[in-house]
Formats: sequence, structure tokens, C-alpha cells
Amino acid sequence: MANNINYTSGAKPVWCPGCGDYGVFAGLNSALTQLGIDKEKVLIVSGIGCSSAMPHVFSTYGIHSLHGRLIPVATGAKLANDDLTVIGVGGDGDGYGIGVGHLIHAARRNVDMTYIVIDNQIYGLTTGQASPTSLLGAKTKSTPLGSIETPENPVGVALAAGASYVARGFAGDPVHLAGLIKEGILHKGFAIIDVLSNCVTFNNLNTGDWYKQRVYKIEEGYDPTDMSKAVEKALEAERSNWSKIPIGLFYKKERPTYSEQDITLKKGPLVNQPDPTKQQVLEALDDLR
Amino acid sequence: MASVSVRIAGANGDGIESSGALLIEAAAKNGLHVFGYRGYQSIVGGGHVWYQVRIGDSDLHSHGRGIDILVALNQDAILHQKNSLNNNSIVIYDPSKVNVDALDTSKSRAVKLPMLDIAMEVSGNPIIRNVVAIGAVLKFIGMDIGEFDEIIKTRFGKKGDKVVDGNIQAAARGYNYEGVETACKLSGDGKHRYVLDGNVALSYGAYAAGCKFYAAYPMTPASGIMTWFASNESKGVFFKQAEDEISAINMTIGASVAGVRAMCGTSGGGFSLMVEALGLSGMLEAPIVVVNSQRTGPSTGFPTKTEQADLLFAMHASQGEFPRIVVAPSSVKESFRIGAEALNLAERYQVPVIILMDQYLSECVDSVEQFDLDKVSIDRGKIVKASNGTGKFKRYELTGDGISPRAFPGTKGLEHIAPSDEHNEYGELMSDMLAGLDESIEMRKKMHEKRMKKIDTMLKNETVFVPKVINEGAEYFFVTFGSTTGSAIEATEILKGKGRSFGVVSFEYIMPLDKERTLKLLEGKKLIDVEANYTRQLAQVIKQSTGIEIKDSILRYDGEAFTGDEIAERALLLTN
Ligand SMILES: Cc1ncc(C[n+]2csc(CCOP(=O)(O)OP(=O)(O)O)c2C)c(N)n1
Ligand code: SF4
Repeated sequence: MANNINYTSGAKPVWCPGCGDYGVFAGLNSALTQLGIDKEKVLIVSGIGCSSAMPHVFSTYGIHSLHGRLIPVATGAKLANDDLTVIGVGGDGDGYGIGVGHLIHAARRNVDMTYIVIDNQIYGLTTGQASPTSLLGAKTKSTPLGSIETPENPVGVALAAGASYVARGFAGDPVHLAGLIKEGILHKGFAIIDVLSNCVTFNNLNTGDWYKQRVYKIEEGYDPTDMSKAVEKALEAERSNWSKIPIGLFYKKERPTYSEQDITLKKGPLVNQPDPTKQQVLEALDDLR
Repeated sequence: MASVSVRIAGANGDGIESSGALLIEAAAKNGLHVFGYRGYQSIVGGGHVWYQVRIGDSDLHSHGRGIDILVALNQDAILHQKNSLNNNSIVIYDPSKVNVDALDTSKSRAVKLPMLDIAMEVSGNPIIRNVVAIGAVLKFIGMDIGEFDEIIKTRFGKKGDKVVDGNIQAAARGYNYEGVETACKLSGDGKHRYVLDGNVALSYGAYAAGCKFYAAYPMTPASGIMTWFASNESKGVFFKQAEDEISAINMTIGASVAGVRAMCGTSGGGFSLMVEALGLSGMLEAPIVVVNSQRTGPSTGFPTKTEQADLLFAMHASQGEFPRIVVAPSSVKESFRIGAEALNLAERYQVPVIILMDQYLSECVDSVEQFDLDKVSIDRGKIVKASNGTGKFKRYELTGDGISPRAFPGTKGLEHIAPSDEHNEYGELMSDMLAGLDESIEMRKKMHEKRMKKIDTMLKNETVFVPKVINEGAEYFFVTFGSTTGSAIEATEILKGKGRSFGVVSFEYIMPLDKERTLKLLEGKKLIDVEANYTRQLAQVIKQSTGIEIKDSILRYDGEAFTGDEIAERALLLTN
């Protein structure tokens, strides 16, 4: 299904050689290529972090926003123009730390966008502090004696908050990841994909090999529409003491998107709606007398 | 000019607000000018609340000082309001509920009106006692009751004839009650005026200018704007309640980059949360309008009371330097104009515009004859609609006027990144691998200068960045901004009656300021600074930009709005 649109910008990536972000770049590029969406209709919104440099390696539209704020920026853009394919990309610090409040509401809200969280269990750009998903005991710059906070379970959080598409991928398997991203983009509603990714420079606990030894693809026959099963799956990694980490689609449920339900947005993309005429303003003012 | 200030006072839940609204409507329908202001607290049940309705035969600029007619719905109304009663005032009270022994009979006349009994007799519904009281008020101010019946019919028609009849009878009984006599005659000019508060006026202005997107998190006293957008989605606007103010402003920025006119609003606490994203708007050159309706601070302060103490904060909020516009509408009517103008300025210069409202302006109700709709134009600035096929789009092109062309996602061939990091003309990062290299040092300097250049451009192209002078040629001038302008104008009228010559210099657009023209306007004038804060923030701005030091000040920071009488009195003390 490959098409001849080139979604990449040719800009030299800023990531360290071997960084998992390259895998996500490959996965996202492959998903876009498979879908063949018009390049000008794609808007990639990122936060701040190594992973948030993602828009620059693409030649689509992009917003490189603030640390933790990509969700509201992307939400505003999608609500303003429903014709766009809006893709958020950020780190685990960005999305599960400083920006986690927005995640909960984005999941409830079901705005039709795809959110890729490059989860390397460390703060890369700020040179190696603990992140919300750093494991207990992880020694980082900010936890030299080992982390003593229980790691966040992002898949569990997304499920509890009502996300309608919840998946986990692995940067070391861009082909599998591309499938999850593609399905996420096709999904009508808020899709979140947690991507396990290695930071070669600052995370020497959760290395590429560490992940490879632990991840497994969710078995055929798993029913992603069953919330109870999804919750079980979401708990599997920590219950197995991180010896078995499932990747794949955890949960998917069709429900109306935000734009499909709002009386203004139902009429079509906000950007295309006309400005009021003088007569309409005068009529509106009549409410006041 | 004649005016009467009527205050309806009682407990939260007594229907004070709807009674005030009914009286305002009655007066406005009679072609009178009205000005309403509600005193309330940050609780939902209980508490002492009041609604002051000032009715006059010409333009009013404030709710007036003191009370000419008090409708006392409970004993607290006497206790809390007796000191605000003017000479020759009237107190309407229900003898079954209220005791007026504490009144100073040399100042006020108490008029018995068994509101509750009448209400029960005509309708069996105790809340209708307020309508009995309004009937009496209409008689005191010499208004015709016939018009009022029509208002009742349209307001309550849906509820059936019985309710309409009960209300009409209640009003008539109050109107005709013994001892209720016309005390002054206000005559209207028969014109139908719009009745609205500053928040609603601002919302209409923004709507008229094509604002499609409003995001907010509830916060008094800005919530009126949210209510307007939420309840007017059928007019083709979109409202999004966000999970917090950080989200509200970032959504607004996202919507702006995607190509719609977008605005968000809050009060000081929420504005504090918006600060980081204000800089994002500055850096992306994403035009947005942010409303900050100021309330008494710091921190939670008085949520329902007014102040003008966020001026310097609004001017300096967020790290680094970027051009912005700060504007404080001076009245309800001007709030409409500025709601529209702000969106044009934001898009023309691709900057954030901060509209500084305050609780008083946001929530005071004024009557406005007509808005100048012919002046509402929609100018979206430099937008490129199609690629000319000559390579990569320079979203941040280094231009002579500092304004670069914008293109919205969806436009083929103009793809680019809008980055919060420092960038080159294409929106490519200068901050990572290039930071500190000659190429990026040079580009950073040019890009920063390009953005800042927009200040010169707007000062050159726009005429709004100077204060307005009222009564040019007066001996003294009140220098003020925002809602305080109205009370200052009223003070000049009062002082004129005392043979004194005062004018007003009102700052609406405060940032940027045309320094030379402002200096020319102020030079040689005797100035008195009037503002609702402790640190004379406007005076500081004036000093910094023109060098003029204003010595005398009339300040208020107790949460209450200035009235004309108060400014006049204090001005007399300063200038005698
Ligand atoms: C408000 C704010 N606080 C802190 C920072 C500094 N900061 C930049 S990136 C980052 C964390 C990066 O970690 P993550 O989001 O996991 O992304 P990664 O670099 O690992 O891809 C922090 C704390 C910032 N830019 N803004
Ligand atoms: S520091 Fe870590 S996350 Fe950042 S680019 Fe290098 S490897 Fe990747």
C-alpha cells in the first residue's frame, strides 16, 4: 500500500545513536506511508524532551509546544479543524509527569487524535533524572540511592480515564509499532500508544536488551473490547515483576468523538464556518432588549 | 441630570438578582438609563446580598454612591445598609419581618409595605413579595405601571395566566399602597437600549469579529464570558471548558495555529497558570486573546470584589521578551469594541492580546443605545492561502515590519513547524545542535529583533496606543484606566457643579504605549492618579515611559468600586 508521499523532512535527527526515538520515527513514518494521508493534513504536535523533537524530522505541519502541554495544544487544533490528522508525540516525563492531568481529560473527552508517548523511563533531555515510570530502585541523577516511588502504570491510567484506544508498542520493533500507530490513527477517538523505548545515554537499567528479553506480543485471540481483560493485561508487567511486558492493543471501544457530539462542530470543521454577518450580530443583540 | 439609586437587599436565595433585573428592564423599557451592580459573596447559600440599580435620565457611568431607595427584605438589610443611605432616602420594609428602629429618621423615611401578606393574598407565593416592592419603587420614581405589566407578560407568559396575573396584581398593589407616593419624576426618552454587563459586551464584540473558539476554566468574575459562549454555540461559536487554565490557553493556541480566531479568559489566579503559554503564543507568533478579569488579590482574595492590581503582572508575565498588547476597556460599551478590536490586533501583529477587565466592569450592568457595528471589521492579517511553489515556506520570514506570513495546516505546500524553541525562518530549531555556533547566534539575534520589531510597527500603524482625554482644557485631570474611567468622568460632572474644572485622561491601551504622543498629552497638565490598587501601577507605567511623576493619588483597594462622589470628594481635599 506504500504511496509516493515523502513524509520526512530530511533534517538530521538530534538523537543519540541507538536512541529508541529512531524506532518511533520509523514506525510513525511507516504508518503514515501505509495510510497515504495527504501530507498537508497531518499535524504533529509535541511537547518538550528529546522525543519531542519528532515533528522536525517530518515534513508535515507541526507544533513543537511546551513541556507537558502537547495534549491541549493538539486538542485545540483538532477541535478547530476536524479535517486534520492530529498526532501527539512526547516523552514519559512530558505526558505522565508534568502533563498527566491533561491525559486524563483527553481520554474522557475522546477527541479524535493519536497520542504516542515515548516511554524511556527517564528524563532524557534534562540528562537523566527519574521519570514517573522509573522502576523502584532505579538509580538516576535525581535518585542516586534508587527510586522509592511506585512507578505509574500508564496503560492502567489511560484505561481508567476512559481512553477508547489503548496500546503499547516497543521502539525496538518498528514494524509492530507502525501497525499500532496506523490503527490508532484510523480509530475514531482518542488513541494512546505507550512506546517502551531505550535511552542509551541515561537509562542503563531499561536497556534495549532489557526490553527485548521481557516484551511479548499480546496473544492472538485476545479480545480488546473486554475492559476487565484489559485491566488484567495492564497489571501484568508489574505483577510479573517486569519479567513479562505485554505489547499490542490492550483495549479499543467505539464511541462518539467530541466533535461528533458538539452542536457547532457537528456542522463541520470550525475553520470553515462563516463569520457572522452584521445582520446576524444585530439579531443576536436582540437577546438583550 | 437626575438619577435615583435603588438598592434591593436581603439574603442569598431571596430572588434579589432577578428582582434587580426586573427593575432594570422596567426602567430601560421606559427609555431610561440604567446601571446595575450586584454585591455578593463567594458562597452559594446565605450571606447578605444586594443589587443596586441606578436609574437616570442621561448617561450613567457608575452605580452611584449611597442609596436613595432601599428595599429591605430582611433585618440584615437595615443593619448593613443603613450607613449607606443618602439624605432624603426612602426605606421600603415589611413590618412583619423588619424593624426600622435603628434608622436615622433625619435622613431616611421608612415606608411600611406588607409585601409578604400581599404576595400571599394575590398569589400564594412568598417570592412574589419582591414584585410588590418593585411596584412601589416604580411609583416612587414616577414610572408608569402599564409598561411593567407588559414586561411581566413576556417574562412569565410561559408559566401561565395565573402566574402573570399574580405578578401584575402584586406590582399594582405595591404601586398603589398607601404612603407610596412619587418622590421624583424621571422621564425616559423612549429609546430601547441594550442592557448588558461588561462580560457579555466583550463576548458580543468577539463574536461579531469572528471569534470562533473560546476556552476557559470557571473563575469568577470572568465566568460570564464562558456562560455566553456556552449558551450561544447555536450562533456558530465553539466553547470548550478545559480541565484547568493551562489547558484553556494551550487549546486556544492550538486553535489559533490551526486557523481560527481564538480567545480564552479567566481571573488572576487562572491567569497566573497561563503565564508559560503566554510566552508560547509570543514565540510561535500565534495570535490569541486572553481576558483577565481582575478581582481583589493576592491569592484567592475576594473572589467577588473588584481591583485593578494585575496591570504590571499582565504587562510582564512570562519569561523572556516578546511583543504583546495590554488593553483595559473603559466601559461596558467599550468592552464590545475592544472584544472585536483585540482579535484584529492579535492577528494583524501575531501577538497575544491581554484584555484586562475587572470584577466591576465584568459584572456591572449598563444600558447601551447602540454598538458601532460598522466599525467592526475582520482583518486577519498576513495569511498565505496557497503555495507559489518556490520551495520551503518561510513561516518566520525576516521581514521589514517584523510580521511574517502565516499559513494554516491543511494548506498544501506550506508545511512547517511552529516551535517554542528558537528557530530560523523555516521554523527549524536553532536551539539544539546549533546553539552557540556563529550561524545560530546571528539568527537568534535577527529572529528576536524581527519579533520585537512588531512593537514599532504597531505603534506606527495604529492610532489606539495613546490615552483618551476628556475635557481637554480642564484645570486638573484624573489619570486612570479601565472601569475606573466611568467614575472619574462622573466625578468631573459633580465637580463642575461645584464650579471646579476637571477632566479625565483614560488609558485603554496601556502596552505598548506611544511614549511621545502620551508625553505630549500629559505634559503641563495637573494630574491626579486614580486607580484601584495600592502601588499606583498605572502611575508607575507612566513614569517609566514618559518620565512624568504624578504626585497625587486617589487609590482604593478595599474591593469596592470607586464612585463619582467619592473621587470628587477626595479630589477636593487634594486640590483645595
Ligand atoms: C515547565 C518546564 N519544566 C521543566 C522543563 C525541563 N525539561 C525539559 S524536557 C524535560 C523532561 C524530559 O523527559 P521526557 O519528557 O521523558 O522526554 P525525553 O527527553 O526522555 O524524551 C524537562 C523536565 C521544561 N522545559 N519546562
Ligand atoms: S539522551 Fe536518551 S532519550 Fe535523549 S536522545 Fe539520547 S538516548 Fe535518546
